[in-house]
Amino acid sequence: MKPILLLGLALVAASIAAPAFAQADTQYVLQQSSLSYHMSHPMHEVDGTSHAARGKGICHAGQCDFLIATPVKSFDSGDTNRDLHMLEATRGAQFPMVQVRTHFAESDINTPTLYADLEVQFAGQTAHYTHVSFQRTQQGNAVRITGTIPALCSDFKIDRPSFLTVPIKNEIPVRVDMTWLKQ
Amino acid sequence: MLTQKRKFAVTMRVLLLCSLLATLVFAQKGFAETYTLSGKVSDSAGHAVPSATVTAKSVANGKTLTAETGSDGTYSIHDLAGGDYEVSAVAGELQAPPIKVTLAAAQTTDLVVTPAANRVESLPNAPQQQQTPPANPNAPSLSDLGFTPQQTQANAQLQATLAKRTEMLKIHQRLGLITTIPMAAAVFTGPLAKAKGKNGQIIKEPTDANLDFHAALGGLTTALYFTTASYAIFAPRIPNNPKHGGIKWHEALAWVHGPGMVLTPVLGYMAYKQENSGEKAHGIAAQHGTVAYITAGAYGAAIVAVSWPIHIKFWEKQ
Repeated sequence: MKPILLLGLALVAASIAAPAFAQADTQYVLQQSSLSYHMSHPMHEVDGTSHAARGKGICHAGQCDFLIATPVKSFDSGDTNRDLHMLEATRGAQFPMVQVRTHFAESDINTPTLYADLEVQFAGQTAHYTHVSFQRTQQGNAVRITGTIPALCSDFKIDRPSFLTVPIKNEIPVRVDMTWLKQ
Repeated sequence: MLTQKRKFAVTMRVLLLCSLLATLVFAQKGFAETYTLSGKVSDSAGHAVPSATVTAKSVANGKTLTAETGSDGTYSIHDLAGGDYEVSAVAGELQAPPIKVTLAAAQTTDLVVTPAANRVESLPNAPQQQQTPPANPNAPSLSDLGFTPQQTQANAQLQATLAKRTEMLKIHQRLGLITTIPMAAAVFTGPLAKAKGKNGQIIKEPTDANLDFHAALGGLTTALYFTTASYAIFAPRIPNNPKHGGIKWHEALAWVHGPGMVLTPVLGYMAYKQENSGEKAHGIAAQHGTVAYITAGAYGAAIVAVSWPIHIKFWEKQ
């Protein structure tokens, strides 16, 4: 009976320990963020900002996957009319979320400059940006990431809105300022 | 005096006709916006299917438009009005069952044709819910982030409403800018159409040409103004969307130039009648100019408000 009992105890111990080892993943949660697109027109310079982004990062077996998403309609440019026009032009009711995914080695997360390949889903299109640089600063348990995604209207097949028959510039760089908490 | 009145009446009729024609042209553009539905027809193995007939049937009125796919399997159906359509494809024995597509902008819809007995579901790219599963099973998904279904759910009806609203406001903007031309001209020709001198003394009346020209400009401005206003008034409203920013001022100023645009022509007509009687405009009619200046000022301010902040840098290349 003793060997059987020991075997049973070992199995129970293993079953308890196994999930503990499996949960050795590191998780990051987006604590606060500011995502701003910049729109340029000969008569206007406009920034639309969203503070509604949510994000999560999971590092497993030395590889990290991050997802950040925010509703398109959460971007505020300071004018309701312009925001509604933006929502229409970007097909924001049909495709209500902007999603950014990235994948990199866990070792890269501690470097002052992080280079990431991004997959951005927006306006019903998916665009890929490679080797986008982000600055990383450690603030206690939190990690602050800042950088700019070099987005273009044409990347997402957005018909550029025009004012006085002059369209906005194709470039709509998105400034990112995020604070992640390691859990 | 009769000649003057007849001239005025003829001028006003011509202007009214021009305004109506302009309104009809803009109205047709605004209310009959069309879109293009395009995509690719392929078989279940992913091969392009040429010479397939793609049909788009309007759910609202049953109107049907068809197109044939090219050698690469692509098709385009042009001039479709916005709304819901049932899109299907047939290629010999192969068929794609109808799928519902809501057109609010140019849209791409791919179809998969299969033998009728072994039909698989078609693959529209219009999302019901915007959620793409991550390639890596460990990667977080949209559902992990805690957004509500209302936040992530596609709303084709809202998209169609936004498209309609944008189209109408674009016309509102263009017509509004066009209106500034006769309005400014009417303001500048105002003093030329004014009788000079004091009542009871010799009144120096304006020439018929000046009077008619100013009245015609006023009439054209009024017609264009109310056409412009109608595109904003009847543009669809977006619920739960409190206004802030320049648009708030733009709308508030309409409470000044709107009544002003009603009052100005009325006072102008009264002044015109008084001057035709050999009198200088008097009483409330004498305020025609003042009301017109305030109205034009509020109108200009409304344009500036919706354009603010303005950074002029036309020298930069687009």
